[in-house]
Amino acid sequence: MHAARNIALCTKDCVCLFVCPTGATDTENGQIDFSKCLSGCRLCVDACPSHAIYLVPSSYPDPQKKESEVQQSLFDLASSKVRQESIAKHLAAESDDPVFKQLCKTVAMSNHIMAEDCYREAGYILPQSDAVRKLLTDLLSKEKDNPDFPATAVKKLLEKL
Amino acid sequence: MREMTRGELAAMCTNLQKACTKQMRSEEALLFGELASFYEQGREKPEGQAYQDLLSAINEDLAVGYKQADSVASANKDRGSLRALVWGEKVSKLLKSLLLRYEKQKNTLLENTNVYVCEICGFVYVGEQPPAICPICKVPSFKIQAVQKEAI
Repeated sequence: MHAARNIALCTKDCVCLFVCPTGATDTENGQIDFSKCLSGCRLCVDACPSHAIYLVPSSYPDPQKKESEVQQSLFDLASSKVRQESIAKHLAAESDDPVFKQLCKTVAMSNHIMAEDCYREAGYILPQSDAVRKLLTDLLSKEKDNPDFPATAVKKLLEKL
Repeated sequence: MREMTRGELAAMCTNLQKACTKQMRSEEALLFGELASFYEQGREKPEGQAYQDLLSAINEDLAVGYKQADSVASANKDRGSLRALVWGEKVSKLLKSLLLRYEKQKNTLLENTNVYVCEICGFVYVGEQPPAICPICKVPSFKIQAVQKEAI
């Protein structure tokens, strides 16, 4: 469990620099150096006057079990949202009117976000879950003869997650 | 699990990409991003490609999709799914009214004003400034993004 900084809350009081035993909190990019951070130490978390530092868990419990009929109906809805996203993207690409393009882009973004939410609730919320591992493994075997498929990326994900 | 289309897999992968970002796993987020772009590039041409097809798909969701999903989620006491359905139904109603207004007002609807999308729930706002918190998911406005008009 290492510490991370929510930069939107940080008021630069720098108390985390005073308390950090390893210098992990003193970086040029606003984020804590995870490689230096001591697991579970939390001195900076407790010292921060603006509550901008928190601990990132290193492991997560299994997600809530989803009934297959719930999953099914969420997949159906996601399917419809993705179709609407595709229509909106198609309409935007075909048009040369900047206002209409803006409208279609808006509709596409909104539908994409709703589809993502359906997948989260259908049991694909946690990248480390068995459901996601199975999905990645299936995609890898399905696309094994496709040279354009980013197989290396998927293999790395399966290793790291 | 059933076979997913490439468009569906693009949304699945950006969802997992965002989850990795929230867990501060930037390398994994990039890898999911790479996979998402692969599927995005291969996105299928939709069946029906007209403005009216968009409207009828939203009407179908509102008349059937949400009702069905809601009764299944209620029967299973799945509060998380009910939450997603409540947000999604509200956003869909908004999108429907936006599309109907555009049909009547055409470009005057969006001229001289801004358009915003909430990156958490998909809420759409037309106006000068987005609300301080999203009326649907209650996230603060810094998560409500402006959608730019592209110069042609």
